[in-house]
Amino acid sequence: MLPLARGIYSSLTQITRNSRAALHTAGALRCKAEPAAETETPADGEENSENTANAAPDPKDRKNVIPVETSIRYLKSAAYKTTYGDEFVWTQYRRNHKGMYAPRKTRKTCIRQGRISTGNPCPICRDEYLVLDYRNTELLKQFISPYSGQVLSYSKTGLCQKSHLRLTVAVEQARDCGLITYDVPFREYDYSEYYGKKEESKQ
Amino acid sequence: MLILRQLRKLNAVQRLQLGVDQSRRTLSDASLQYDKDPQPLFTDAETQRLLQSMTQLQLEKVFRKRTVADNSTETKFMTTAQLEKEFVLTIEKAKKLLQMPPVVQIKKDTERIISKDPALKDFDNSKYVFTDISFGLRPSERKVVVRDVDGTLAYAPLETQKRMNQLYFPLDGRRSYTPRMFSDEQLLQRCLDDHKYEFILDRLTVQYEPYEAEFHNISAKVFTHLNESKQFDLLRSTRHFGPMAFFYAWHRCIDDLLYDMIRRDYLYNGVQLIALSYKIHNVPVEYGKTLSQLEALQPTPAERALEELLSCLKKPSEKGIEQEIQTAIGKTEQDFAADEISLKFIEQYIGSEHALKKVQLELAVQTLKEVNLEKLQLFKGLKKAHGVQAT
Repeated sequence: MLPLARGIYSSLTQITRNSRAALHTAGALRCKAEPAAETETPADGEENSENTANAAPDPKDRKNVIPVETSIRYLKSAAYKTTYGDEFVWTQYRRNHKGMYAPRKTRKTCIRQGRISTGNPCPICRDEYLVLDYRNTELLKQFISPYSGQVLSYSKTGLCQKSHLRLTVAVEQARDCGLITYDVPFREYDYSEYYGKKEESKQ
Repeated sequence: MLILRQLRKLNAVQRLQLGVDQSRRTLSDASLQYDKDPQPLFTDAETQRLLQSMTQLQLEKVFRKRTVADNSTETKFMTTAQLEKEFVLTIEKAKKLLQMPPVVQIKKDTERIISKDPALKDFDNSKYVFTDISFGLRPSERKVVVRDVDGTLAYAPLETQKRMNQLYFPLDGRRSYTPRMFSDEQLLQRCLDDHKYEFILDRLTVQYEPYEAEFHNISAKVFTHLNESKQFDLLRSTRHFGPMAFFYAWHRCIDDLLYDMIRRDYLYNGVQLIALSYKIHNVPVEYGKTLSQLEALQPTPAERALEELLSCLKKPSEKGIEQEIQTAIGKTEQDFAADEISLKFIEQYIGSEHALKKVQLELAVQTLKEVNLEKLQLFKGLKKAHGVQAT
């Protein structure tokens, strides 16, 4: 799960737990004596804060664009480390499908009208801090096969079609700029093409 | 159509910018151009031998696992005789992979007009390019002619010729546009700072022809940067080491490379490098004798690689104690003898006025001498202890 969403989730659970406990004690106190009113007030306050936390950020909202620089910093951060560990962004992802065999293609897109429209968004779409860009080489390298040097298929990574297209474009751009190295095809020189005339004249 | 027109406009703008960039680049690197045609000196048999020997042949580096679309391997059962034959073929293959890119002069574009037909004036509002696309012609032989709007028929300029060649017979890995890595100064600088020298040079060989100005400019830039960062080992045993050494020898800045060679105990290569620079600048120092002496003592890189391959066929029991001692120390008796000769030659060079970084080189030689002396003593001691007769 995402660090942000996780943070919100944990704080929410904590709040509800605390308020429940507070309510419980309050109930017990109310039966006994009047000074209990004092303990009741903080519990009310916490309930209010729960409402505001619920209203503020929508975890499925993807309207604000996150700059690449932030994404590059995120990939180096401790938050990224705790979420993904040393594994690739896509290793832990599993597709949801009915029946034994997954459909050949992944879904067209995870984000419609600036909102996540699915319950199981693809590895790139689920974390809004992963931005596909040619400068974000650390991210792009996770999607390149160490054996063939090609971009990994979406059947392996589970990316939605839209993300996959953006990924291939970004990788190609990065190669063009020399930010990602690859094995250049070997060029065999026909020396006679460059030195030919001189050799003929010598003979 | 609209989009196409837009794209064309964009391309034109890009080309303009490129032109500006190129002119700037030639200005900044004007000092490190080949001032006369380097080709006769480069293709000389002795120079080639020196450069190949300096390049060395490390099989692991030449046949490293490449990330290409098809890198399947084949497993076979073979007899020892077959295997030995295969080893020889492997060395041949490695030599082919180490083929040096040609070093030639920048080719000037000359206008060659075939005919002027004023009657054809304004036959269209764009030029017509005619290309001979018959199969099997070499790129330089392929005829490309242009009919201009004013009716003149002329041979196409080199740029157009290259473009048409790429259009009909694409070279694997070459782009029809200039990669941003080469057109953008900052990106190239970033690549250089990340020490991606081999990648840049590989891409350069594919993208440009050796006689193009860009090829010369960018390779000069890479070599000068390499000379500052002193990461020569990255290019050792690749096809670019020869042109690099030639470049340094031509521009009289071999001292850093020589220092690196001494530090890594490649004294024979150091001697070859000095000999090469003497040869290029016609310095009246007799180096042929030292070279032939060393040649008799040292195997060529190909022989050494083959030996390395064959040694894995031998069982450990077959190897004598003498060989074991040699592998433990990493040097044979011949190597020690060769070292002595080459050290004498290198010291002579350091003493002469051609060396620029004398103190550094002297120190390196001194430390190497001490290490070698220790090794020699150990070698002799081990031999004595095992009762191997010293020859």
